[in-house]
Amino acid sequence: MSRTILEVTDLRKEYSQRRGLISMLTGQGRVIPAVDGVSFYLRENETVGLVGESGCGKTTIGRTVLRLTDPSSGRVVFDGRDITTLSRAELRPLRREMQMIFQDLDAGLNPKMRVRDILREALTVHERPSDAEIASRIRELLEQVSLKDSKLANFPSELSGGEKRRVGIARVLAVRPRLIVADEPTSALDISIQAQVVNLLRDLQKELGLTYLFISHDLPVVELVSQKVAVMYLGRIVEMGLAENIAHQPRHPYTGILWSSLADKQTTEVNRRVNDVTVERERRTWGVFDFEQPVSGCRFAPRCPLYQDKGRPAVCTDPASEPQLRDVGHGHVVACHFA
Amino acid sequence: MDAPLLAIENLRTYFYSRAKRAFIRSVDGVSLEVARGETLGIVGESGSGKSVTALSAAGLVTAGPGVISGRIDLYSNGARRNLLDGLENYARVTERDGRVMEVEKDERGWRKRSETLMAGVRGKEIAMIFQNPRSALNPYSTIGKQLMETIRLHTKFKGESEAKERAIHWLERVRIDSPRLRFDNFPFGMSGGMCQRAMIAMALSAEPSLLIADEPTTGLDATIQSRIVDLLAELKAETGITTLLISHDISVIQRLSDRIAVMYGGTVVETGRAAEVLAPEAKVRHPYTTALLASIPSAETIRRKSYLQAIEGEVLDTIEVPRGCRFYGRCNRVTEAIRENCAGREPPLGEVATGHKVRCWLYPATGKA
Repeated sequence: MSRTILEVTDLRKEYSQRRGLISMLTGQGRVIPAVDGVSFYLRENETVGLVGESGCGKTTIGRTVLRLTDPSSGRVVFDGRDITTLSRAELRPLRREMQMIFQDLDAGLNPKMRVRDILREALTVHERPSDAEIASRIRELLEQVSLKDSKLANFPSELSGGEKRRVGIARVLAVRPRLIVADEPTSALDISIQAQVVNLLRDLQKELGLTYLFISHDLPVVELVSQKVAVMYLGRIVEMGLAENIAHQPRHPYTGILWSSLADKQTTEVNRRVNDVTVERERRTWGVFDFEQPVSGCRFAPRCPLYQDKGRPAVCTDPASEPQLRDVGHGHVVACHFA
Repeated sequence: MDAPLLAIENLRTYFYSRAKRAFIRSVDGVSLEVARGETLGIVGESGSGKSVTALSAAGLVTAGPGVISGRIDLYSNGARRNLLDGLENYARVTERDGRVMEVEKDERGWRKRSETLMAGVRGKEIAMIFQNPRSALNPYSTIGKQLMETIRLHTKFKGESEAKERAIHWLERVRIDSPRLRFDNFPFGMSGGMCQRAMIAMALSAEPSLLIADEPTTGLDATIQSRIVDLLAELKAETGITTLLISHDISVIQRLSDRIAVMYGGTVVETGRAAEVLAPEAKVRHPYTTALLASIPSAETIRRKSYLQAIEGEVLDTIEVPRGCRFYGRCNRVTEAIRENCAGREPPLGEVATGHKVRCWLYPATGKA
């Protein structure tokens, strides 16, 4: 089995929100636990998918893992080194090994620089290669992301969405990273272009032995590219396991809802029936995140269909017993009292 | 088909792109019909002209040169109204080699005429919901007030208290919990899904004949998306409202539409009954539709971990009308027998089965049409 490249232990990231005069003066604001005790690991050349609704903390994890933001507590170990407490200077050589692909297509593409200069800059950040080396590396990068030579002279504004994404990926590859955090890499693209980019990312992984943390809300794509999937809800991982198990034999009711919302839509029969079940389900699950309400017990309970079906058992809302991740076999972990 | 409620004929809407220093034929000769009580779903990628078609129908294209020609007939109260009546007199287009060189347009005259035509139609006969509900709502006014405004303006409920009751009734119908409390909420205090529900309530409260839903689920979370789709399906069953649904998401289109139209490069390339066009075993289908469906990972693809069938190339921007088929450059089903046609002449929208039309040289019916 390949070795562990990234290990995250009990990661927490809190943002404090100060609103209004009183909280400004007293210095006391609401504290929002965007990531609230998350642990997972990635093996070399593997893809772990991170799914969940917006606001669940998946992007925050991606950023904290790369130390683009500092964690409030917890440990991030990259390739055997604890990077949680490294200084900026100590981090610098590690930066080239861990890169991020942002959701925003324009991220990292200076609008006043031509593609050639963007790539040249990326190649010379950590090294001082000769002009000939730069030229050959640029050619290599273009080939890797299947971009035409003629695009080198273009400014980002002259590129299409798919081309921008390819330049963004080439820029990341320029420093020869080992771990890439891909934050919604396809969601800003058209469907037909999404497929191209997904194929490209998978090719690159094979070719270069990359490891991906793949953050997305596009469940079929996550299932396709990932070996393991972690499902997040309100700052915590509620279920994690092999992609096919998460998708087809989910144990946590939230995972079930996430994936079924999709299955409903993909039925080939156009289903227009209105039945009590959909109305009922609707009533139960319209709820939204509410960080203001203190969590007592399971944080999914207010939206949970199982909680209702079981007749609102007290254990679900007991502040003393928030469900912890436990192994249900084959490395499949789930945080639910009834899974 | 039953008598249509809305019939769009040969609609052309152009824009000027400063970056490209050229006119874009955003909608380039689109003809569509929406029958009373049905939902027509328009699917396509960005730049295909699907949203602009809908905006043109609602008289909401404000950027120049905008709607150039065509007719949009709205059949309501037993009368037929052409929403573009006489507007073509205000614009003159000069073309050379399939490229729009110049558009002379009397903007003020056009706008005045358009406002006259749309008065009493937009908001009343045609209501619209948009992609970003929060930006479509007035941030300075409560949901309830905004709803009451629509109701008092467009329906027989003119009084303060009856309008309020009606507003609460609509909040209930879009399944907003504790509607009486939510009535006094401002949009910023509500989640995206709730704002979209409020928007839907507002659109329907005017009791319009046609609802235009432009990407109603885009930008919402996966679970909320499917709740909104459920809601739209339920409301459709309850009210039987005619809907023009625009989405890039085939699964949304599939769930809600009776008929669909696939758009590419400013034209309709395929239209037909949704079940027929999207059926997995369908034999006759436009290569673009097939490719779009294949771009979404299927259960089979995921199981085998195989490659996605991507459509090579980029989405067309229609500055020049290509001589042949608009999809020719990206099409993987061109055979030697038809290559000359594909490259040289734009295929007409030919009927391949009753009510099923495809714009492709692969199908013999195209030649006859």
